Amino acid sequence: MAYTFLSEEWIAAFKEKINSNPNYRESGSKWEHGTIALVMQFDQDILSKIKSDPVLSKQIKEGETAVGIWLDLYHGECREAKKVSVEEAQNAKFVITGEYARWKMVLKKELEPVKGMMQGKLKLKGDMPTIVRFVKAAQDLVDSATMIETKFVDE
Amino acid sequence: MYNADLNFIFRNPTKIVFGMGAASEVGQEAEALNGRKVLLVTDRFLERSPTFGGVEKVKKALGNKLAGVFSEVEPDTGTHIVNKGADYARSIGADCIVTVGGGSSIDTSKGIAIVLSLGGKIEDHPGINFLSAPVIPHIAIPTTAGTGSEVTYAAVIKDHEKHRKLIFADNYIIPNVAILDPLMTVSMPASVTGATGMDAMSHCIEALHSQQAEPIADSLALGAIRLIAEFLPKAIENGNDVIARGQMLIAANMAGVAFGNAQVGVVHALAHSVGGRFGVPHGVANSILLPYCMEYNLDAVVDKYRLVAQAMGINVSGLSDEAAAREAVEAIRALTRRINMPQRLRDVGVKEEGLKQIAEDAISDASIVYNAKSILDPEETLKILKQAY
Repeated sequence: MAYTFLSEEWIAAFKEKINSNPNYRESGSKWEHGTIALVMQFDQDILSKIKSDPVLSKQIKEGETAVGIWLDLYHGECREAKKVSVEEAQNAKFVITGEYARWKMVLKKELEPVKGMMQGKLKLKGDMPTIVRFVKAAQDLVDSATMIETKFVDE
Repeated sequence: MYNADLNFIFRNPTKIVFGMGAASEVGQEAEALNGRKVLLVTDRFLERSPTFGGVEKVKKALGNKLAGVFSEVEPDTGTHIVNKGADYARSIGADCIVTVGGGSSIDTSKGIAIVLSLGGKIEDHPGINFLSAPVIPHIAIPTTAGTGSEVTYAAVIKDHEKHRKLIFADNYIIPNVAILDPLMTVSMPASVTGATGMDAMSHCIEALHSQQAEPIADSLALGAIRLIAEFLPKAIENGNDVIARGQMLIAANMAGVAFGNAQVGVVHALAHSVGGRFGVPHGVANSILLPYCMEYNLDAVVDKYRLVAQAMGINVSGLSDEAAAREAVEAIRALTRRINMPQRLRDVGVKEEGLKQIAEDAISDASIVYNAKSILDPEETLKILKQAY
């Protein structure tokens, strides 16, 4: 079944795919460096599409132009995945921020996230060497997301 | 060499001012940036050196725009130095920074600019593209020809208490102006000239063999290799050769723009780790490791190394790409021998029992992400280290 990217169902499926991905269980087995928030920023065009989408319109409050996905990862397991506001996202140990179009490229495996940070296409708040040490885990997280049959609101 | 997948973002916002005595133009450059209360950042050695004199020249050129001097920068700058410098900058109401020094001083100034913009302490802000607006204007006057920090978007600042290096990378911390004055580098000792020059050479090769390599950065890197191959030995043989000094400043600057865009790779990842564990100067570590890392990457980038060989003046006509690439490696080795650089890690105090830890450290160094061959296993970096030992 296809889920719309950023919907509650999609985020729940993301958690499930992470936890059923043996590669991530291995590559993330030493991760004990805290929570990660993935912040998606929307331009006006995407924002209007989200607001007119019956599923996604519930995920974004009036006045918001961005949302975050909060991932509580520990020793190869995703303990919690939830949608958060941008303000809540800033409390994560690592905050990775990018425009919706960039995240879509990540999910389509057209942009590797760590390289995206180095190229300035994604922003990182947090300790870069820690992220680099887990570059394989980052790839496996993306792989987990790509296992979800995903609908994009702008397609 | 490139295919339809090629995509890149090229940034090069720094105004370059080159010329004999160009440091005296710092006042005009500060004026153009609306600098009225300039903080001069340097180190104590340069400030007091009787043979250098560059700090005094810059002070004179700034005249009444100079609001204060922060000269507490040390090699391998630290969070405590940056925070102290930022406090001082605030106390004098600085609206522009001028740096006279090497990479450590320039990185200190980048750190001070971040703290002035975001508040708090520098250790609160590690990250990539974390700034949302320009920071205080910065004019960099390098006194070495190697780091390229005067045109790059990154600063490495050590948290000496927690024994870790923090990385700050953002387009907004690229200096506004780089003043390249050969007279600012003539007092540099031969050993430092060699090490920093080989740092610049490593930037060129790493930019060329990076996964993020692109044609603009390639051209700059190859141009810089030509200059380094010709002028580094001359600058070492005669430190007062201002033409060689000037060409080396230009080469280091071009190399800085090249790797600032294309990134670096395993040479830097290993050199950072060797430096972190055994205190080996960055340029020396790069110089030793470069040919071994080229051998490791060789089969992935033979076409690029063929160009390196040509840029170093080797006639490669009639040779296969692989044979030409091996000539490039040997040309690098010959250059390091000619300028009396150490050849092995064991020659610079690295202990064999430390290689495993260096190999592990290198895997978490941001530089390794773009290496020609993806490296995820410390066994791979250990192989290179054993050969270079």
